Amino acid sequence: MPEKKGCLGCSFPVIVGVLLVFLVLFVVGFAIGPLGKSMFGDLGLPSWLAVDQPHPELPAEVVFHLFGFPITNSVIGAWFTIIFLVGFSYAVTRRMKLIPSRLQSLFESFLGWLYNFCQSVAGEKNGRRFFPVVATIFLFVALNAWLSLLPGFGSITVETAEGEVHLLRGANTDINMPLALALMSFVFVEFFGLRSRGFHYLGKFVNVGQFFRSIGQLFRGGLRASLSGLITGAINIFVGFLEALSELVRIVSFTFRLFGNMTAGEILLLMAMFLIPWLFALPFYGLELLVGFVQALIFGGLTLVFLTVAVASHGGEAA
Amino acid sequence: MGGLASLGISMPTLLAQIINFVILFGLLYLVAYKPIMRMLDERSRKIKESMERTEFIKQQAARAEEEAAERIEAASKEGQEVIARAMRTGEEVRRGAEQQSRQEAESLIAKARAEIQRERDEAIGELRKEFADLTILAAEKVIDRSLDKKAHRQIIDRVLEESTQLKKG
Repeated sequence: MPEKKGCLGCSFPVIVGVLLVFLVLFVVGFAIGPLGKSMFGDLGLPSWLAVDQPHPELPAEVVFHLFGFPITNSVIGAWFTIIFLVGFSYAVTRRMKLIPSRLQSLFESFLGWLYNFCQSVAGEKNGRRFFPVVATIFLFVALNAWLSLLPGFGSITVETAEGEVHLLRGANTDINMPLALALMSFVFVEFFGLRSRGFHYLGKFVNVGQFFRSIGQLFRGGLRASLSGLITGAINIFVGFLEALSELVRIVSFTFRLFGNMTAGEILLLMAMFLIPWLFALPFYGLELLVGFVQALIFGGLTLVFLTVAVASHGGEAA
Repeated sequence: MGGLASLGISMPTLLAQIINFVILFGLLYLVAYKPIMRMLDERSRKIKESMERTEFIKQQAARAEEEAAERIEAASKEGQEVIARAMRTGEEVRRGAEQQSRQEAESLIAKARAEIQRERDEAIGELRKEFADLTILAAEKVIDRSLDKKAHRQIIDRVLEESTQLKKG
């Protein structure tokens, strides 16, 4: 045996060969793409190798109607994700064993990580209650992002009444999906807040107690004694209004954060593919994997934080 | 509302996505969270249990070890006591035997001495009697007549007694 040489587990000839193939693909792609064409002119390469210029559109296209209900390609993408997630979960949890198989332990350790995350933020009991919400949001966002990187998304087209449309589209890149998630997150936050704190939770938004107490004091003790109380009451009402406003603003920020990131990523991939076909887009795919994970973590994590804040009783206000 | 429409917000799709999310939530709750949580709980319970049992066994082992050590110590103490007692007994026996043998020897020596004394006395008495007879005989011979044997013997005996007394003193 000669001494062990090589790189990344391959021998040098293999590595050199692979790199050569990569280089050739890159150079050819560069020559075909519009960027190369503008630099070197048309080299007479067959035109079917080139990638058409993308025309990204923000609204999702309607693929077909179900009972008069328009089904867009992003909804189909979401179905794809749902089928994948539920199928995978079912396959893993159908035969659960105390000593787990590889797949089971992978899934368990991932969900366990999320669960610990929930508990570390929201505490033992609340973490357990919030975990399904946070995990579903996380999984839905992450898998929507990752699965839309698969070939077929944005490339399979079908004929419809309105012309040729894509069959599948990453659900995150249609604003309805982030908006739906943001609304669900809002609903869960208000639900848990109301359930665990009752009417005290609403008191956070309609904070008039101090004001009315001060008005009562005004009649009993006069202006001077109640003036500071009145001002504090007015400030409290204003703060309550701000709190309510911030709840609504959250929806918008949730929506546009996810939508913007995902759409930008999609367009980035399309443009990279268009400018220099083939290999050039590869690093961006890696980037998009990371972005999908990060966005999922942000969406789930922020929801978790808002939930935790909603159920936490504010000592001063409750008193 | 034209701006919202150009962004792509449409009520039916929004509704569809909300329904999608709810369906996903429900299905995942059934096929993922519930079983996984149960499994995690069960596993952590098992681990806790086995750790508790380990702790218990460890304690038991420690107790058993302690007990064994105690027992060994007791046994060793007992053994030492037995040995000590045996040694003491042996010493006593030895001492007793020694004393007895010494006593025996002493009594033997005493007896022997007494015997010797007695024989000597006897011999001396015999000799004296012989001597007295010889003396009387000789004297008879010298003076050629019979002497009052009884009276002379008394004299001779006295003389001999005195001489013995003198010798002894």
